[in-house]
Amino acid sequence: MRNLLHDMNPTVKFLIVAVSLITLAFFFNLWTPLLFFIGILGLQLTLSRINWKVWLLFMLPFTLGSFGYLWTTIVFGAETGGTVLFEFAGYQVTDAQLAVALSLAFRVLAFSSMSLLFAFTTDPVKFIMSLMQQLKLSPKLAYSVMVGYQFLPVMKDEFVQIQQAHRLRGADTEQRWWQRMLGARRILIPMLAGAVRKAERSAFAMEARGFTGEARQEFYHPIRVRPLDFALTGVFLSILAASCLGGVWLSS
Amino acid sequence: MLKGWKLKEIVLMSLFGVVFGIVYLLFVHVGNIWAGVIGPLAYEWMFGIWFIVSIISMYIIRRPGAAFLPETLAALIEVVLGHAAGPRLILSGVVQGLGAEAAFALTRYRHFTLPILMLSGAGAAIFSFVYGYFMSGYAALDPSFVILMLTLRILSGAIIAGIGGKYIADGLFATGSLRGYAIARAQKGDARA
Repeated sequence: MRNLLHDMNPTVKFLIVAVSLITLAFFFNLWTPLLFFIGILGLQLTLSRINWKVWLLFMLPFTLGSFGYLWTTIVFGAETGGTVLFEFAGYQVTDAQLAVALSLAFRVLAFSSMSLLFAFTTDPVKFIMSLMQQLKLSPKLAYSVMVGYQFLPVMKDEFVQIQQAHRLRGADTEQRWWQRMLGARRILIPMLAGAVRKAERSAFAMEARGFTGEARQEFYHPIRVRPLDFALTGVFLSILAASCLGGVWLSS
Repeated sequence: MLKGWKLKEIVLMSLFGVVFGIVYLLFVHVGNIWAGVIGPLAYEWMFGIWFIVSIISMYIIRRPGAAFLPETLAALIEVVLGHAAGPRLILSGVVQGLGAEAAFALTRYRHFTLPILMLSGAGAAIFSFVYGYFMSGYAALDPSFVILMLTLRILSGAIIAGIGGKYIADGLFATGSLRGYAIARAQKGDARA
C-alpha cells in the first residue's frame, strides 16, 4: 500500500498535479482548497512513505507565505462590501474579505501539499525517462537534461572552489548584502565558462559514442502506464471533484 | 523545435538550466523571507532574476526555442533540487519562457540588441503576471495594487533580466569560451547581428 504513490507513472502524476492546480485556481471559496488539502494529506498518509520531518520543514516557508497572502488580501483586497467583523489597525475587515483572504491562504497550502506530494515521491531520472517515453520528449533534449543533472554535484563543488579561490586572493571583502549580490557576477562568470566547456566536451563525447538523438521505440529501462495509474488517477480526480462540489455546497 | 540545433548547443542550454536552477533557488529563499513579512509584493521588484536565463541563452545561441527551453529546464532543475513549489513551478517556467521567447519571435530572431533583450524581459514579466493573476488569485486584490505589482514586475524584467542578462553574457563572451556559438559569429559581423 505505502509505495503506491512512489510506483506511479511520473508523467501521469505530473499531469494530475497540473490539472488539479489549474482547476483549483478557479475556486475562490473558503472550503474547496481546504478540503483538497485535507484529501491530499490523507493520500500521503496512507499511500506513501515520506519523511514527515522533512515535509514539515518544506511546508514551513509556505505556511509563512500564506500568512503574507492573508494580510495582503485583507489590507489591499478589492472593496467587496459585507458586514464589518472587526477593526484592526484602522482597517475594517468584512466577512467577505476575510473569506477571500482565507481562501487564498488555504490555496497556497493546497498547492504546496500537492507539489510536495510529487516532489517527495518521484525519482527525477525516472521522471525525465518517462517524459521521453510517454510524452515523446526529444531524446536529444532528454539526455542533455540528464547530462546537466549529472553535473549538479560537480557544479556545487566548483562553486565552493571559486569562492575559496577568491577568498585566498583576498577578493571577497564585501560586507553588505547588496554588495555581495552585485559581486555575484564574479562567481557566476567562471561557473558559466566552466559550464560552456563541460557542455562542449560532453556533447563531443556523446557524438563520438554514436549518439544521434533520433526518436526510438525500444528503451533500456521501459517505464509504462499500468492499471495502477488509472486507479490512482481516479482517486485523485474524485478528491478534486469532491472538494470542488463540497466547497460550493458548503459556502452557499 | 530542435531541428538544426547542434548537440553541444542543446547540452550548453541544459547546463545553463542547471546553473540558473541553482541561482533561482537561492533567490527563492531570499524572496521567501521577504514574502513572509510583506506579502506577494516582496517578489515583484526582484522578479527579473527568474527570467535571466532566457535572455542569456538566447543572446548566445540565437535559435528559436533558446529562450523558452532553458527557462523550463531551470524550473525543472529547481523542482529536482527541492523547491517546495514542485511541478507548479515547471508550469510557471513554461509561461515565463514563452513570454521571453515572444519578443524574439516577433522580431523573427534577427535582432539581439539591448532594446529587444529588455522587451523580452518585459514579455516574460507580462506573461508570468497573467499566469499569476489566475493562479494566485490577484483578482481578489485592489486594482491599483495589482497595477503597482505589474509595473514593478515589468520594470524588474526589463532591467534585471534584460540589462543584467546582456551584462553577464558579455562578460562570459569576454572569457573567450563562447567561440563556436552564434554570439561569436555575430560579433565578428558576418551573420545575424
